[in-house]
Amino acid sequence: MFLRILDRLEELLITFLIAAATLIIFVAVAHRYLVGIPLLYPLLFPINLSWAQELCIIMFVWMAKFGAAYGVRTGIHVGVDVVVNKLNPPWRKATVLFGLLCGALFTAVVGTMGAKFVYGLMHTDQVTPDLELPSWIIYLCVPLGSYLMCFRFLQVARNFWLTGHLPHHDETQVEGVEIDAPGAGVGGITR
Amino acid sequence: MSAAIIFGLLILLMLTGMPISISLGLTVLSFLFFMTTVPIESVALKLFTGIEKFEIMAIPFFILAGNFLTHGGVARRMIEFARTMIGHWAGGLGIAATMAAALFSAVSGSSPATVVAIGSIMLPAMLSVGYPKRFAAGIIVTGGALGNLIPPSIIMVIYAVSTSGAVYFGPAGERVGSASVGQLFMAGMVPGVILAIMLSGTTWYRAWKNDYPKIPRATWGEAWHAFRESIWGISLIVVVLGGIYLGWFTPTEAAAMSAVYAFLIEMFIYKDLRWKDVPKVLLTSANMSAMILYIVTNAVLFSFLMTSEQIPQAMSNWITDSGINWITFLLVVNLLLLLAGNVMEPSSIVLIMAPILYPIAVKLGIHPVHFGIIVVVNMEIGMCHPPVGLNLYVASGIAKMGITELSIAVLPWLITLLVFLGLVTYIPELSLWLPRTLGML
Repeated sequence: MFLRILDRLEELLITFLIAAATLIIFVAVAHRYLVGIPLLYPLLFPINLSWAQELCIIMFVWMAKFGAAYGVRTGIHVGVDVVVNKLNPPWRKATVLFGLLCGALFTAVVGTMGAKFVYGLMHTDQVTPDLELPSWIIYLCVPLGSYLMCFRFLQVARNFWLTGHLPHHDETQVEGVEIDAPGAGVGGITR
Repeated sequence: MSAAIIFGLLILLMLTGMPISISLGLTVLSFLFFMTTVPIESVALKLFTGIEKFEIMAIPFFILAGNFLTHGGVARRMIEFARTMIGHWAGGLGIAATMAAALFSAVSGSSPATVVAIGSIMLPAMLSVGYPKRFAAGIIVTGGALGNLIPPSIIMVIYAVSTSGAVYFGPAGERVGSASVGQLFMAGMVPGVILAIMLSGTTWYRAWKNDYPKIPRATWGEAWHAFRESIWGISLIVVVLGGIYLGWFTPTEAAAMSAVYAFLIEMFIYKDLRWKDVPKVLLTSANMSAMILYIVTNAVLFSFLMTSEQIPQAMSNWITDSGINWITFLLVVNLLLLLAGNVMEPSSIVLIMAPILYPIAVKLGIHPVHFGIIVVVNMEIGMCHPPVGLNLYVASGIAKMGITELSIAVLPWLITLLVFLGLVTYIPELSLWLPRTLGML
């Protein structure tokens, strides 16, 4: 139950971040050109959007950290698997597990380093240049994202240990195309 | 010595099949921990500053734009457009497939997705007019190769990001500025058009020589209709290139605009997309972007280690001392990148290799933009050459052909690609003429 909520939250967060970042930059660019129209000038000039770029970067950094954790769950982080797939099954299993645990180790180290760094920042009054948000809140995504990613690696490793199943990302998925029904639309092309 | 240890460790970790981003990061951490007295905390800051550049944010935006347009409906419109224009020539359907793949891969940004979208429609169509299966399958595999040359191109953004920042010096000791995204986009246009013509030429020649069946010419009405339908998708290229060239927006803003534009045309003009599909497209794009940004973060860490161990400098000194000229160097670069293309995906290769090779290239007097185009072309060929090009695998699923048979089928187009690579490598003006004429260099 808790895990399901965590999954949904993670998905919701990164979906929201990418959509919001796109909208913000779109609005900022549109604003820059609309301000040039004399009729709209008095209406739009007081609105200051100089913080848009900074906010967009912050949102994408957050999206990157949490998205990377989500990516472990969907198996999008690809590696070089030509050699591993040639090994015999017990060796393959051991190697894949080693890889996953290395992932967990790395993210745990990074998370801890990040946590220390954020803790250090909390005692300063450093703020971001445009939005003037406290820096430690911005950098909080590093420990949070990395620990979540570590948790996902352990989850995937446990699943692989028990069932031998690894998440796999399909990068050839195209909406509106059915590979199982080839020939759809052939008549239209060859008439 | 330390270079050998670093690369040995990296390759060893990579061969276990762990994600490339993790092997990069782990190499850096363990080298710093065991081999040096540099406190690990010194890299902590790199983990945060690695992706805090506005230029990098073009990557998620372009991925989002591409995912909105990665739809069978868009592929069908582009095929229809290409067919009504050139379908009646010898091998016309094949040439139309190449053209449609060029357009679709340019706007969708994904070579394997192009093989699926164009292949699953065009392959049965080509078989039904009587083309041999090998001929049809060969066209499908290489069609997606054009996408990275024709803007918007994510690989070009990655190259620009991974080579910018540091100061490098040319053969005469002068400072060389790195290539910008706008310059690279413009530079890709001429090679992209030439490659499209060369691939189509190969198709045409084989169809003409073997006298494959032709299809009737489309009427002007049909052609006009198909053009009007597809122009919305093709305009994305114009919006991005034109917007950057005219100085309306920066490359990142252009990317955000193209994402909104792609959303609007899919939603309100093509109407392929329903509101309930939108979160899924957003989530997939966020997932993909996060994966690439995570590699970027770790690659920044890796090139920090390279720089602090002075490895690129040592290599470029060694190369210049040994008297290797740019011709030999580029030959080696091509072989290296093609080889790497077999085992890794393009963005990782560029992020790892470009920071190492770029200083040497600059030192030998190769123009940064020209070098970028060479790298991009290599990445595309890597997707389609045997034994393990990804496009081959995808196409083998669609065509129901074995990899070995498909490798033979793809040979004529693969040779065309390699000839093209030779041309791009040794005629810098192919890449540099257009941006220079437009005053962008």
